[in-house]
Amino acid sequence: MTDKSSRREFVKQSAKIVAGAVILPNIIPASALGKGGSTPPSDRIVIGAIGTGSQGMSNMRDFLQLKNAVQFVAVCDVDALHLEKAKETVDTANKNKDCRTYGDFREFLEKEKLDAVSIALPDHWHGIIYTAAVNKKLNVYGEKPICRTIHDGQTIVAAVKKNNIIWQTGSWQRSQPHFRHGAELAINGRIGKIKYIEVGLPDGGKGIGTPPVMDVPPELDWEMWLGPALKVPYRGVAHWDWRWILDYSGGQMTDWAGHHIDIANWGAGLEHTGPVEIAGSGVYPYEGIFNAPVEYDFLCKYANGIEMRVANAARQPHGMGATWYGDLGWIHVDRGNRIEASDPKILEEEPGDNEIKLYRSDNHWQNFIDCVRSGKQAIAPVEVAYRAISVALLGEIAMTTGETIKWDPEKEEIIGNQRASRLLSRPYRKPWELPSV
Amino acid sequence: MKKQYLIILLVAGLLTFASSCTKESGYKTLIITGQNNHDWKTSSPILKQILDETGLFSAEIMQTPGQGGDMSTFDPDFSKYKLVVLDYNGDSWSDKTNSAFVDFVTNGGGVVIYHAADNSFPGWKEYNEMIGLGGWGDRNEKDGPYVYYKNNVLVVDTSAGQGGTHGKRREFIVRTRMPDHPVMKGLPAMWLHGTDELYSLLRGPAKNMQILATAFSDSAAGGGTMRDEPMLMAITYGKGRIFHTAMGHADTGGGPAMQCAGFIVTLQRGAEWAVTGNVTQAVPFDFPNEAGVVLRPDFKGITLDEAFDKIGSYDIARSTKYLTCVQSNIRNAAGDAAKLLELEKKMVIVLDGKETTSGAKKLLLRELSWMGTDYSINSVKNLLSDPEVKDEAEYALARLQSGK
Repeated sequence: MTDKSSRREFVKQSAKIVAGAVILPNIIPASALGKGGSTPPSDRIVIGAIGTGSQGMSNMRDFLQLKNAVQFVAVCDVDALHLEKAKETVDTANKNKDCRTYGDFREFLEKEKLDAVSIALPDHWHGIIYTAAVNKKLNVYGEKPICRTIHDGQTIVAAVKKNNIIWQTGSWQRSQPHFRHGAELAINGRIGKIKYIEVGLPDGGKGIGTPPVMDVPPELDWEMWLGPALKVPYRGVAHWDWRWILDYSGGQMTDWAGHHIDIANWGAGLEHTGPVEIAGSGVYPYEGIFNAPVEYDFLCKYANGIEMRVANAARQPHGMGATWYGDLGWIHVDRGNRIEASDPKILEEEPGDNEIKLYRSDNHWQNFIDCVRSGKQAIAPVEVAYRAISVALLGEIAMTTGETIKWDPEKEEIIGNQRASRLLSRPYRKPWELPSV
Repeated sequence: MKKQYLIILLVAGLLTFASSCTKESGYKTLIITGQNNHDWKTSSPILKQILDETGLFSAEIMQTPGQGGDMSTFDPDFSKYKLVVLDYNGDSWSDKTNSAFVDFVTNGGGVVIYHAADNSFPGWKEYNEMIGLGGWGDRNEKDGPYVYYKNNVLVVDTSAGQGGTHGKRREFIVRTRMPDHPVMKGLPAMWLHGTDELYSLLRGPAKNMQILATAFSDSAAGGGTMRDEPMLMAITYGKGRIFHTAMGHADTGGGPAMQCAGFIVTLQRGAEWAVTGNVTQAVPFDFPNEAGVVLRPDFKGITLDEAFDKIGSYDIARSTKYLTCVQSNIRNAAGDAAKLLELEKKMVIVLDGKETTSGAKKLLLRELSWMGTDYSINSVKNLLSDPEVKDEAEYALARLQSGK
């Protein structure tokens, strides 16, 4: 697989296989199962949710909007107010009062008999809870980025493989037609051979200084919120704003890797590999508890010669999004249905019969449910999510150490740098440990 | 050739000696002031301090006669200087002085235009070409176009109207427009500037001018133009280079506009570029970014020694800047084992210190966990029995012993 052409061939083949699979009517239509065109409750996917903050609830609403696809039966959160809201939403949807609530995911996983679980947590919890859920053979809809460290990611990927479950990452841009169209044109050489990729992720972060230590609100289990992370006193920062603190996240850079780096990889055939060399620098806050890089700018070199520059949008010529540059032109995609090309005519084309057709999904949550039913791979599988976040995590290591990092994407190891290698994992605070696979 | 040797000597001098030792060998710099609608008695000594602080410049302040005074007595010998800094907004100079100044710049002299100096001399054609853009003094369409960014596109706007305005003073984001220019290289794409006047609607000849950075003039604070207005400019005139900063309104003690590390550092870098066309100064760790304004009340940055001196009494509620300083030195060591060991030894001294706070130990243990060597192991192990920092010591030890 080190041979350039064989890797490319492999990517082509796997893309075709996947595309071929979904073209077939591989799911039994809902109308065929139930009377009167609806799925009987017994055929709905029984699902629970771990993490019911803003993103968790957003996913829950997306699942509930699907027609007769899921039935939520249990929710779990360390914040009692989140839990109450989530139960309310579920009970309203189910027209009963039966939704079960948990403050501890271990009890949730022990007691609940589910088909699937939707998980949306701060990144520092992903390693433990994703692995534990997968070890229970639950199908998982898991938020990006799938891990806080590369070692966590490797463990999650291994668990998914071993337990043979359906995994969908919350990289929902894959299920938007214009992102797929751009990626499909890029991978089919419509801008020539891809040489360079530009990924623009959100600028900045914010300064908060150091708020005073305060009483933990009664609804929040702070000890459980911290979990494997080092203990710090509560300063009013938990939900949402955890992303500006390196103990829990890598800032905008890692938060968005699962979107635009993922799309960039998709269109360049890099989704099953990683860079071989990473170097760059970050800009860090001067004061306060928010310590994630406010700006970031790093260059990844791949074995096949492609280079990818990841930076905050203000540093990138096209701003936010992914831009593939080939020897014949460029294509840029971003949210808000934005798709542009050096020559607009390129965008009118569709891949021909003998070309790569990327996986088609027009609803990310529906795709997960369909795949849980059919047993087919979902559009944003775990290995691909791991490769996307790895780029940002390696960039973070390059920025932290100030060094050029050499990475072996096959063995998934940093080459010849003990200091940098230590940053591939993060010791967990006792008694927490990563479940074995 | 001589110039190159001088730079080498200066840089070597900077590395070896405290900046005070090199004062006499820096680029001779003349700060001209004496009339201004701004508090020049405050600003000029600060400008001198900011420039001298680099060790690259040796600045002196020269005052013109006061308003209405006899300008024929103001007759500096510009040829003695490499750099002229204008903190001046007042009466016209004599024709002789004007022409000597034009000769100085034409022949390669460096100039820094500071804040209200771009209000000065509306009728002096050559001066306006040097500053690129100016304001007030009845400047209007006859003086040249407005130049600004709108939706990230550079606009040269010849429409009629007055030149120069500013809304209420406020903090504002400065955005880099030419990241590869020597002055801007390595600076953040965006940074928050201390409370200042946001000069807007500047207009002028705009010849041979590059806009290095802009600031969005919003309407929230009044007087906003809804344009990204030029804040830092690089202009060439003849063989001379002019660095123009529209920022730095002097308040008591300089105030946040002059104390802002972003203002200070861009001035230092711009001044060096005006003299040599290059910038040798490293970007300091306290250069601000979008996360917040960084002030230097004494116009100096924190040294590493100072950071190690103070980090032992670290209290997160007071400041995290000493840790930020140490972290930036670790990054800048870029894997150089000898440099890292030197830092590690200093970190271990703090870690072992009897007076060192638990907060400081926690921070250092996190850093040592990845960049430490066997040198740290015993000190880390000693902390396993300290209930306050036991978790962090275990964390550090687990990493230090991994991959062995």
